[in-house]
Amino acid sequence: MRRFLTLRHLPGHDTCRGMIHDFMPAQARHKVNRADLTHCLGESMREERDGVKTMGKSIAKYFKEWGTALTKGSLWVKLSLLFMGAGYFGCGQVMNGILMMLVEAVFIVFLAYFGVPNLAKFGTLGTVQAQQIFDPVTLQTTMNDYDNSFLILLCSVITLFVIVLFVIFWFQNLKTVYRLQLKKAEGGHINTFAEDVRSLFNHKFHITLLTLPAIGVILMNIIPILVLIAVAFTNYDQQHMPPNALFTWIGFGNFANLFTNSITVSFGYAFRKILGWTLLWAVLATLTTFIGGILLAKLINSATTKWPAFWRTLFVVSIAVPQFVTLLLVRNFFADSGIVNTVCSNIGLTDFLKSVGLVGSHLTYIPFLTNPNWAKVMIVLINIWVGVPYQMLIATGVLMNIPTDQIESARLDGASSFQIFCKITMPYVLFIQGPALITDFVKNINNFNVIYLLTQDVYITSDQLLANSNAKEVDLLVTWLFRLTNEYYNYKMASAIGIIVFIICAAFTLLSFSRMIAGSREEDYR
Amino acid sequence: MKTKKMIGTVLQHVLLAILAVIWLIPIVWLVATAFSGYKGINIAHFFPQSWSLDNFRQLLFEPDSVVQYGAWFKNTLIIAIFTCIISTIFVVMVSYAMSCMRFNGRKSLMSFSLILNMFPGPLLMIAVYFVMKMIGLTNSHVGMIIVYSAGSGLGFLIVKGFMDTIPTSLREAAKIEGASEAAIFLKVVIPLCKPIIVYQIISSFLIPWGDFVLAKLMLNSGISSDFTIAIGLYNMLEKSLINKYFAVFCAGGLLVSIPISILFVIMQRCYVSGVTSGAVKG
Repeated sequence: MRRFLTLRHLPGHDTCRGMIHDFMPAQARHKVNRADLTHCLGESMREERDGVKTMGKSIAKYFKEWGTALTKGSLWVKLSLLFMGAGYFGCGQVMNGILMMLVEAVFIVFLAYFGVPNLAKFGTLGTVQAQQIFDPVTLQTTMNDYDNSFLILLCSVITLFVIVLFVIFWFQNLKTVYRLQLKKAEGGHINTFAEDVRSLFNHKFHITLLTLPAIGVILMNIIPILVLIAVAFTNYDQQHMPPNALFTWIGFGNFANLFTNSITVSFGYAFRKILGWTLLWAVLATLTTFIGGILLAKLINSATTKWPAFWRTLFVVSIAVPQFVTLLLVRNFFADSGIVNTVCSNIGLTDFLKSVGLVGSHLTYIPFLTNPNWAKVMIVLINIWVGVPYQMLIATGVLMNIPTDQIESARLDGASSFQIFCKITMPYVLFIQGPALITDFVKNINNFNVIYLLTQDVYITSDQLLANSNAKEVDLLVTWLFRLTNEYYNYKMASAIGIIVFIICAAFTLLSFSRMIAGSREEDYR
Repeated sequence: MKTKKMIGTVLQHVLLAILAVIWLIPIVWLVATAFSGYKGINIAHFFPQSWSLDNFRQLLFEPDSVVQYGAWFKNTLIIAIFTCIISTIFVVMVSYAMSCMRFNGRKSLMSFSLILNMFPGPLLMIAVYFVMKMIGLTNSHVGMIIVYSAGSGLGFLIVKGFMDTIPTSLREAAKIEGASEAAIFLKVVIPLCKPIIVYQIISSFLIPWGDFVLAKLMLNSGISSDFTIAIGLYNMLEKSLINKYFAVFCAGGLLVSIPISILFVIMQRCYVSGVTSGAVKG
């Protein structure tokens, strides 16, 4: 969970730098030169691509080795297919053998009492509806032994996951046992149990280190992702809420819903509108704060500016207050009967906007956050207010690293400062900040805080079709799905939307990263 | 030519001043309202007509059914302390394994965690909420701590990057002296990583103070004394409450931002010194 909390949610966290470092592999860490970042990023992505290629090969190799272990192994080795400890007993590692048998026993008991009963209902997700039964003998009403669809789904997902883990463990076990047998045949030293335990703090220390964090990640990341994917294919919503009602599989119905329009279902309409606004918002929010940050940094750091540190501090003060406080504050600042509206009507701005036609003639205030168009503009503007100081700090760092010789020679050749900015500064900054821009874009697609805190309880949609699917014009896909779950319990649609958002984000990230590191561009600024 | 330059410089400073005023207006409003004698939103005047410390007094010493600042602060502090202990330990352990040890599947584990990181967080929340609800840990400190810290092992890249700059010769020397891997981890690497560990401690400590989404989802009992600071402050701005509590909200927001900004400044220092001292060693 930590990952998404670190970025936008942390008050005053240096957003972009955090992101750059999140993606930064460690090799060249000791240099804080920005140009290295892109290079490093390229390395890691390439590593990953090669990884995919070699993965197929290594899987094939794995099974081949397993096959040899099975065919050439002794009777003990073959026995350990059934009794996992057998191979260890054969080599005299009694303690290991007992442990393996214990693992196997625990797994079988787990399957028998937890896994199989749940998996048996996995196909239907339960058939017994919850009912109250009046018992004439005791004169009491009790609940029947009903099925809870969600528990069945969750437990089945956990069981399937455990089974997969166990199967991998089982395969690995045979290979380990075979290796032991070979070692014994060669007359090598067979570890005692104490030596094995000691190795967990020596050359196998990584197992000790990684076990707990891995369990955490499985619990908090992997299982939830699998459950989320499964829920997208069911009809889990307010009418089918366990424990009182059952839900079941409906295939791709929810995804079809997202692309259809009918009198009863307006999800297609809402999805198209919100997707459009989400992408527009992400582009606008990313570009405006980025360019604003660079311009502000240039302005503050220009040679003619007096007291640059003083100006910088003034802008950074706005970071000191937690983001949720400032956003809630600004929301009331611009409320329909808020202070800005008082000032605007006092100086006659409201009347002027009315006469221009930007404000409806029946209104006595400027609908900053209540009219769809005004709200969208205001959200982008407020986001500039929130985001530019961060970007300014980052841009300051980047601008300081611009190779001055290029600028010098351009100036000698008679380039104006505007030309230098367009032809040298901007390309350089874009080159270095490119990866950060992309991660920024993806973060903005999922920028929950700004939209939710500014518009929740304030903005009410007048578009009936949107209201039917519980959406608003200013919603992003994330805030929409959050309200779908938190207020309307429409888990099936929220999960389907969630999967689509993930596909969009992942596709975008992978595509742009592979494009950015294509060729040898990373050497350009060396 | 010289006057033209002068005008340019003056314009530049005027522009900066205007921008600075725009950026400071909401902050000034926050501070002014926090010291206002009027509890609701003052829509007629920017600065309050009467000044008082009453909001802070109410916040700290007069808890009622809505405002439980002491309880919120205590909740957030407990959650933050445990979150930062657990997640720092997790992150340091994973970083050491990934940076200093060589084992099969290390690279694929790292790529896998990168891909896992790509799954947008807010979407995961719903499913996490399901899981926590099943175990019955919503509306509890333990649940919040688990939610904030359990998956923290994925955020190992910064600390790992720092550990990569520690020369291998140090570890090899320790190994020749007969130290086990665990001893190297505890007695050689961790002391060298102090600045980046402080960075990690503070940054994970700050998570519960600023997080809004997860806390809103998990703490849904509606009982004010269960809230964290963020949820409590948000709750004060509900339509029926806002006119009685807006100034108190501002006071609360101001109070919480003081410790946070101090920690933030320390964190940035540690981060910078961590990275630069790494350069010297490398």
